[in-house]
Amino acid sequence: MAKKYTLDELLIITAAREIHDSENVILGVGLPTTAGAMAKALHAPGATLMMESGIIDFRPLVPPNHIADANACRGFSYATDLFSAFTMTYRGFVDVCFLGVAQIDKFGNVNTTVVGDYYKPQARLPGAGGAPDFISYAKRTVLTMRGGEFVNKLDYFTSPGYLDGGDSRERSGLFPKGSGPTMLLTTKGIFRFHPQTKEIYLAQVHPGVTVDMIRKDVPWDLKVADKVTETARPTDEEIDFVRRFAPTEAVGRKLMYELGMAHAIRQAQARGK
Amino acid sequence: MAENSSKVMSAKEAIARFVKDGDHLVIGNYTVGTCAELVFEVIRQRKKGLTLYSQSGVFDVEVLVAGGCVNRLVSTYVYRAGGKEGGSAVERALKAGTLEMEDYTNFQYNARLVAGMHGFTFMQVFEGAMVTDLFKKRSFIGDNKYKVIDCPYTGKKILTVPAATPDVCIVHVQRADKFGNAQYWGALGSVTAAALASKRIVVSCEEIVEHDIIQSSPHLTIIPGYRVDAVVEIPWGAHPTEVLGYYNLDRTMYALFFLMDMRGDSLMAWMDEWIYNCPDRRAYIDHYIASYGAGKLDAIRAKSYFSAPANYGAAFTSCWDNDDRERTMGVTLEEMERILEERGLLYG
Repeated sequence: MAKKYTLDELLIITAAREIHDSENVILGVGLPTTAGAMAKALHAPGATLMMESGIIDFRPLVPPNHIADANACRGFSYATDLFSAFTMTYRGFVDVCFLGVAQIDKFGNVNTTVVGDYYKPQARLPGAGGAPDFISYAKRTVLTMRGGEFVNKLDYFTSPGYLDGGDSRERSGLFPKGSGPTMLLTTKGIFRFHPQTKEIYLAQVHPGVTVDMIRKDVPWDLKVADKVTETARPTDEEIDFVRRFAPTEAVGRKLMYELGMAHAIRQAQARGK
Repeated sequence: MAENSSKVMSAKEAIARFVKDGDHLVIGNYTVGTCAELVFEVIRQRKKGLTLYSQSGVFDVEVLVAGGCVNRLVSTYVYRAGGKEGGSAVERALKAGTLEMEDYTNFQYNARLVAGMHGFTFMQVFEGAMVTDLFKKRSFIGDNKYKVIDCPYTGKKILTVPAATPDVCIVHVQRADKFGNAQYWGALGSVTAAALASKRIVVSCEEIVEHDIIQSSPHLTIIPGYRVDAVVEIPWGAHPTEVLGYYNLDRTMYALFFLMDMRGDSLMAWMDEWIYNCPDRRAYIDHYIASYGAGKLDAIRAKSYFSAPANYGAAFTSCWDNDDRERTMGVTLEEMERILEERGLLYG
């Protein structure tokens, strides 16, 4: 019988499958690094994994705590600086990058800066980080959204997707031909972008999710693929890898906190505190 | 972009595959550790019409020009042997009209490569040069040798140089792995910029080492593997120049070269003996030992003076502790899977 998997494992493994052998990959912390680790271990051994802090060609052994976490690997191939990591991207040496999303619009433009008014924020989010530069110049960008939302208009335009749709990104002359987001991965499904209109559409749904459930999250009339399929199930090998490599991510944040706190309390009690 | 597989090859194959007639070729090394064998192989293969970039053109530029490989030279410093009575291949070629040369300062030359390395189209350089003939006398680059712009912040006149993006860089380093990760230490010069600004990169090294050596010393890597097209292991690959940690400059051979370099016919005789009649570096070293004895090489072999190792270790390399319990949650894999099942968090 095929192994059962958690939602987080499904997301990680789906993202990992977007990495191909011999590609140069920019990874952020969390889901992308675990996806990168899995790709490198299972189907893309020649991939060069990179973090913008200047850690180039690393093989993570535990999930990094942040994007400068050299403690998560055992050495790496090339120590450069952040400036060079970005100019390397600008010159077209990055094949795929992964970015998180707080708000996304119909054409894959992204906000990771603020919810509400910029000067009087309802929620001040992390900000730009590396996102605008990576989505601008990486050949492909995979977007992930776990707590975010679809909006008609971004509260703050942090990172350029397909601008006003159609050929507007290409026409702007600011970005390499063919670059831009290729996929949005959410907790409910997988979205892609129409090759001409560049409008986002629903391509696949995760197990137990219906198209109607997703439509409720989208404030416009969401386009849907002619035949919406279910997200491909992970293999046992993929599940085993992710669960072993990143158990705290495999179980999901909520359970990780619960079990982690319980464990810390047990340890304190054992010390007689 | 360079493929990841089978980058290890001979100098002959690397130069045949990655250096084309008419290329803009940059010598990555600056003064020390010259990629002598790669240079010799370019000459043996009689490459033609090169535009040569050399930060400081000494023995390497002399033989490439004398070998008839170079039409155009971009440099900051060329060598002339023997004072008033002497001469150089560059001088002879300029007189004969077979070579055009564009002069820059050391800083400007390096700035052009730094711009190229980072994907910028130009770079700001020091404005004082505007009053000199470096600025006024221009050769084949012409109007595009320099441009003056107004600083958008201060209004000050700013001197700029255009980015250089050579077709191919040939460069010698101490060590590399089979993937092309190239490690170099000592005088950094403009080596990194020359390599990374280029479209193709041919690396020669004193030794090819296990990937593990590279992984435990990433701060020494100056060229990442994914940028490199060819890796060639060539012991004594920079002789008669020096490689830190391997051997010193061979003063006898250097002196002999410059003596011969003073005149065209004697330089050609030297090149016949040491380049054309030696099919590869092994033959060159054999010929050297036959001519001068192995003791001369032993005398310039480096004695070790190791840098203190940098510790790249971490507290652990797995999320699971010695009892196979997850470090944060304190559960075994079986316990974790049971909890997921009980909570109904599993699909499929």
